[in-house]
Amino acid sequence: MNSVRISVFEVVGSPLCVASNDGQRVYERLAAAIQEGRSAVLSFHNVDTLTSAFLNAAIGQLYGKFSENDIRSLVQVEDMAPDDLVLVKRVVDTAKQYFKDPPRFDEVIRETMEDQDDGV
Amino acid sequence: MKCSLQAIRHDRDSFEALAYLHEQTRECFWDEVEIDMEATSWFDADMCAAIGALLYNLGENLNTVKLVNLPPSVEKILSKNGFLSHYGRVKIPDRWGTTISYQRFDVKDDRYFSGYIEGEFIQRSEMPTMSPRLLKKFRESIFEIFSNAVWHSRTKLGIFSCGQFFPSRSRLDFTVADLGVGIRQNVQDHVGSDLSPEEAIDWATKGNNTTKHGDVPGGLGLKLLCEFIDLNGGCLRIASDAGYWCRENGKTTLARLSHPFPGTVASVEINTADQNSYMLASELNAKDIF
Repeated sequence: MNSVRISVFEVVGSPLCVASNDGQRVYERLAAAIQEGRSAVLSFHNVDTLTSAFLNAAIGQLYGKFSENDIRSLVQVEDMAPDDLVLVKRVVDTAKQYFKDPPRFDEVIRETMEDQDDGV
Repeated sequence: MKCSLQAIRHDRDSFEALAYLHEQTRECFWDEVEIDMEATSWFDADMCAAIGALLYNLGENLNTVKLVNLPPSVEKILSKNGFLSHYGRVKIPDRWGTTISYQRFDVKDDRYFSGYIEGEFIQRSEMPTMSPRLLKKFRESIFEIFSNAVWHSRTKLGIFSCGQFFPSRSRLDFTVADLGVGIRQNVQDHVGSDLSPEEAIDWATKGNNTTKHGDVPGGLGLKLLCEFIDLNGGCLRIASDAGYWCRENGKTTLARLSHPFPGTVASVEINTADQNSYMLASELNAKDIF
């Protein structure tokens, strides 16, 4: 089955990938590919600015719909600067946590407050 | 209604002063609000975003706002960045190019905001020479703040921004303000926890904490910003509701304001002389991302 190549620059129309709405458009293309079991190559060629808001929408939310295995086997990123790769990785890790273990907000808050009490 | 304003800097006292200004004028409707700035001996120009939000709010309540007795130096800088153009003055040329103009954006103006940032930072020769990576990190930081305001404020009144470069101190300040529900209310509505205003800000800046529910995860933007500020030697200050939060030199300070600010202000200061490369200790392989 043919893989699809998604140019982020083409989808967004700009090197500035900062808006969540733009991330949503990328997500829709990626999700359609994964849904069909097709490989998707996500190219960041010519993209020079990324935010977590954009990446959460574009990539993070994939983990709410597809399995980690499906995403790992079907999605590749290309043409990305090393520090942007790190940002994507952090978004992915956060998303896995978010969807795997529904946010236990009360616990997180309590831990945060306890840290403060301990002077951390 | 007549009120006065003290010197406005990036400190807690100044956020107190702005919150007090809001407190004094919050009931004004169809009024003439005159703000005497005789005592405003200094005005950190990027804080125009914060006062601009307050004054816009007054305008929404059909008040006429007058700024009077501005010291010449303050009038000059606030004319250069276009702030006073909103209040009957004329914009004057910024000979040294140290201002980043005061603007208001609607929440759907992400792209317009992007263009503004490009125009103000990338295409201007007057801006400090920052390393490409520092410039990239700074732009990302500003976009994170803007995205945060768009997502969390739930405001219909827009987002206000302004900046200022201080060449002698190698500092670049940029402030974003909104007239939204504030971080405390957002945490209360979405997470159900009744934190104090300053605790709510602190909570929002921790990794993995988010008030976003549903399909799109969140909770990373402010954490990333804090990490960058710590490395850069800059500073991040946030005032929201009656909470004040400051991150500087790797330390966080929390305080309670006497009166609430009607929304959120995030003010970032970066050290433009920073030579950190922001390269990472270990580079990731693209195949290891997912």
